Amino acid sequence: MARPGGRPPLWRDVRVLRVAFQLMVLAAAGGVLAYLVGNVRENSERLGIPTGFGFLDNPAQFPIPDSGFRQTQPVRDAIWHGLLNTLRVSLLGIVAATLLGIAVGVARLSGNWLVRNAARVYVEGLRNIPLLLLIVFAYIGVALTSFPRVDRAWEPFGLAVVSNRGVVLPWYDDGGPWLLAGVVVAAVAAWGIARWRRAVNDRTGRPEHTLRWAAPAVVAALAAGWLLSGASVTVPELEGRIVTGGTRISPEFFAILAALVLYTASHIAEIVRGSIQAVPLGQSEAAEALALSPFQRLRFVVLPQALRTAVPPMGNQYLNLTKNSTLGAVVSYYELARVTSISVGNGAPAVPAYLLTLGLFVILSLLLSLVVNLVNRRLALVTR
Amino acid sequence: MSSPPIAARQSPLGWARRNLFRSRWDAAVTVVAAVLVGYAVVRAVRFVFVTGRWEIVRVNLKLLMVGRFPDQHLLRVSVAVVVAAGVGGLVAGCLHRRQADAGRLVWRPPGAVWAIRAFVARSWPLLLVTLLVLSLTSTPGPWVTAGAALAALVVARLLGTRLPKQLHAVIFVGAALAPFLLVWYLADAVGWDGWGGLMLNVFIAVTSIVLCFPLGVLAALGRRSSMPVVRGLSTVTIELVRGAPLFVLLLMANVALGFFVPPDQAPGRVARAIVVFTIFTAAYLAEIVRGGLQSLPPGQEEAAKALGLSPVRVTFLVVLPQALRNVIPAQVGQFISLFKDTTLAGAAMTLFELLQVGQSVTAQGPFAGQALLPEAFAFVGLLFWTGAYTMSRESQRLERRLGVGQR
Amino acid sequence: MRPLRPVPAILLTAVLALTACTGDDDGDASDETSGATSTPAATNAPGQPGPGGSDVLGTVQRNGRVRCGTRDDLPGFASLDPSGAHVGFDTDFCRVIAAAVLGDAEAVDFVDLETANRFTALQSGEIDVLVRNTTWTAVRDGTEGATFLQPNFYDGQGMMVSTDSGIDQVADLAGQVVCVAGGTTTEGNVATEFERLGAQPPEILSFESVELVQQAFQEGRCDGWSSDRSQLTSLRAAYPEGPESLTILEGTFSKEPLAPAVRDGDSRWAQVVEWAVMATIQAEEFDISSENVDEVRSSSADPNVLRFLGQPVDGTVLDPGLGLPPDFAYHVVSQVGNYGEIYDRNITPLGLERGLNALWTDGGLLYAPPYR
Repeated sequence: MARPGGRPPLWRDVRVLRVAFQLMVLAAAGGVLAYLVGNVRENSERLGIPTGFGFLDNPAQFPIPDSGFRQTQPVRDAIWHGLLNTLRVSLLGIVAATLLGIAVGVARLSGNWLVRNAARVYVEGLRNIPLLLLIVFAYIGVALTSFPRVDRAWEPFGLAVVSNRGVVLPWYDDGGPWLLAGVVVAAVAAWGIARWRRAVNDRTGRPEHTLRWAAPAVVAALAAGWLLSGASVTVPELEGRIVTGGTRISPEFFAILAALVLYTASHIAEIVRGSIQAVPLGQSEAAEALALSPFQRLRFVVLPQALRTAVPPMGNQYLNLTKNSTLGAVVSYYELARVTSISVGNGAPAVPAYLLTLGLFVILSLLLSLVVNLVNRRLALVTR
Repeated sequence: MSSPPIAARQSPLGWARRNLFRSRWDAAVTVVAAVLVGYAVVRAVRFVFVTGRWEIVRVNLKLLMVGRFPDQHLLRVSVAVVVAAGVGGLVAGCLHRRQADAGRLVWRPPGAVWAIRAFVARSWPLLLVTLLVLSLTSTPGPWVTAGAALAALVVARLLGTRLPKQLHAVIFVGAALAPFLLVWYLADAVGWDGWGGLMLNVFIAVTSIVLCFPLGVLAALGRRSSMPVVRGLSTVTIELVRGAPLFVLLLMANVALGFFVPPDQAPGRVARAIVVFTIFTAAYLAEIVRGGLQSLPPGQEEAAKALGLSPVRVTFLVVLPQALRNVIPAQVGQFISLFKDTTLAGAAMTLFELLQVGQSVTAQGPFAGQALLPEAFAFVGLLFWTGAYTMSRESQRLERRLGVGQR
Repeated sequence: MRPLRPVPAILLTAVLALTACTGDDDGDASDETSGATSTPAATNAPGQPGPGGSDVLGTVQRNGRVRCGTRDDLPGFASLDPSGAHVGFDTDFCRVIAAAVLGDAEAVDFVDLETANRFTALQSGEIDVLVRNTTWTAVRDGTEGATFLQPNFYDGQGMMVSTDSGIDQVADLAGQVVCVAGGTTTEGNVATEFERLGAQPPEILSFESVELVQQAFQEGRCDGWSSDRSQLTSLRAAYPEGPESLTILEGTFSKEPLAPAVRDGDSRWAQVVEWAVMATIQAEEFDISSENVDEVRSSSADPNVLRFLGQPVDGTVLDPGLGLPPDFAYHVVSQVGNYGEIYDRNITPLGLERGLNALWTDGGLLYAPPYR
């Protein structure tokens, strides 16, 4: 029997049990880790395979298209370019997939029968097929066959060259730091003007009109930066089968990006639809009673509440998209996983190389998670 | 606001005015959408019926379905399919009986005709695709298997509704054990490293789903634990696994289990794939469950504690059921992703699963170099689509049954 | 006393059931502990484990199967026939090894591998031998934990273009696009070649799947297609628009000796595989084929031939102590054939001449050390 007012015996004291349990968990985790690392070391020695990261200095022995990378540069540079490519696809993909996903999710609940069912077919169709299929289809079925061969390329307005070797658009010549300065100044100006107009609106109730106040300043800053830097625009030229100048969107990049966006957007659309439907019906009815138009209802009442529950699953989808970009390897897009697997094929030791790649992806995902968690925390329901 | 008279509402023109041409903007949208959709439909129909060359699918049907499973043991696969259908029907029947007794069912007209109509309406994609696949076979075996499975399903369902409720516990336990027994039965003939085709994808997905659930829930609970070590370890493990791409993990699993364990204990390729999928899906599931736990008003937990329930009972009887119900769409979405991601195991570890089969048959002697990839992939895509779509429809039914979004 | 809860009971049963099931895997337990002596029925000589403790020969004899790493998508070398069985030049050499070691050419477990993990499969013990048109290079010998053996196919890397593209030599492809299959040395060789020529390197695309390369090439995504000449020949023969629409350019970029590989640290197994492969070459030199091997065995007077086939000469049977049965060559030739037969069965239909792959007596590179 417990004595009134006394401490319980050690073996029943919750505080002691908690500490003991945690110590046990720590010991178990440590033991498992030591076992695994020991095995790796032993097996590597047995086969005469190095375990360090020295392979990073070896020449890569393979080139990477659309970059300045040459095959004599070390593996670490190849990995850097691979990482850049992964980032390019992932960030563009996240933005595009979110926009498309929200649009389709809303369309799923539209009053127009055709739009509603077209969205439904799209979502149900794409959500349920493997991404790998989509990527290969996007590459062969679209990027390669729907665009003309390079010797019969389209040249719209003489400004771009469109073929199944990519879309080459006019691009600027790097003019140095002035251009970057112009962009920074424009961004700061836009932010500052937005704040100013919001303060004006709070104080006097006059409409913000941020766009018409900020636009001239932004344009002026960009133009100044452009002129000062002396940059010029190069227009792509086609001679026979070779295109010079401009910047190219390769069909591989297009295929992986299009497939990722279409696929992830279908998932996001379902999440958005579910979260919109989870908003109590009364909210929508009250908004209608207040004579808000359907668009206003969506924008000011339903979506803000819906996106609150949608943020964690959407964050999941962003992570998925970033991870799925590794499938670009199948269509020869040189993102990080492809670079690693080619290096391992060329002789880099497998365990350190893959651990490095996994580490880079984990860091990338942690950063993304951090951002999503921040947003989630700000939006989460604050209860007592 | 006056509504048009009933007659106008019900005519096709009235329907079109309400659904397609409500306003000028609406009408414009309808026109644009109709053009785009019409073009897509015409191209698709032409591909399927006119320009597609489907011989490659017809010839390789067995490879696509069961890989290189030896012909003499195919009977076991048929038996397994029939038994699985029977067990599924039995469980469905028992569940139906419990729902009916609890008064949660919508009344349906009695009789076989209505039952058949309901069944067809519920599972038409699965039925259509099964018929399509059967129409491509050249032997009677698959027809017999399909017929037997259907019969088993129906009979077991009827039986399930009539069995006394005391047997339900036994039936559910048996149903939980049945997959393991079936796997053992099939692996007895051919170890699962020799399985292939759709069978392998289903096997990997189901096994990973079953195994990842307890891990994922535990990890989610651990992450919300008040003990710092447990919370820290859970968070670190979840974030590390979530941060890793599945494709790279699979590539590494080809290597890692060769280096991380002594050489005489290296598991087979399929086992490695299952381990990777389980761990990966458990981490994602943990986050989804965490979202569900977050969405629950803390009043539930407080009330349960006030009633004197122990922490374990609070978690497993009050908090978890509600939290899991709230995130059903996300969970099923994750499981569907898992089913489709089994294709990555084929690309990364050269398991002979359905997508790999689809790619490798295009390189066979008579079909090599004829650009038959679209046909092969269309068939493979259809099979995946049917499985995933059926799962998602069932989850939507479940959602409706359990009242998500309404209370 | 609380009754046993159903949920934990089910989980426990499930875990037990699964652990029982994993024991059923066939052919994956590579028991590498150094056995004392292995005494299977097939060998006469007492087995000695190789230095370092690895004993693949013992394992193979115990399991009765050879695990051979190969592929399923290269017509002529390793692909699948409609019933799903492996056929091809490399797969036939897998059968050669099985016939030599175990006396049964079908005692092979084929493990299809991607280019990316072919060496790691060897390193981890998943396969016993890798016969997958793999090039023997110094870096691979040194860092992949693999030992390469006598090449079974001397190849070189070449370039293939459309006949009507106007390209006559490799240098014409400067700055254009080249597709390769499978990456690794193929890509590097192309880039190195253009460096050597002092020309601007082309854009290089590499796909894992040969089908994708073909589609890309057909659609005009690439101007050139580079790979081992043997692969190019096989692919050209199967090209849908007919082999005449493609031209394989003159000249080879690199030496590509394709050889079987085994794991480092087991020289006994390496010797076994080596001599099994060389038996096919020696058999062709002796003019022994699967058609006449029985007749030759019973009626030949040449002591070299008799020793080779494991027949007694002056009352004694030659057993060089390799760990193979004395009549391993007989099993190899009667069940699979000599080198020429294997070549004719798989590669001649592609239109590839013997070239370097002829016997040394015919001006090629195939030379088997004497069996004595």
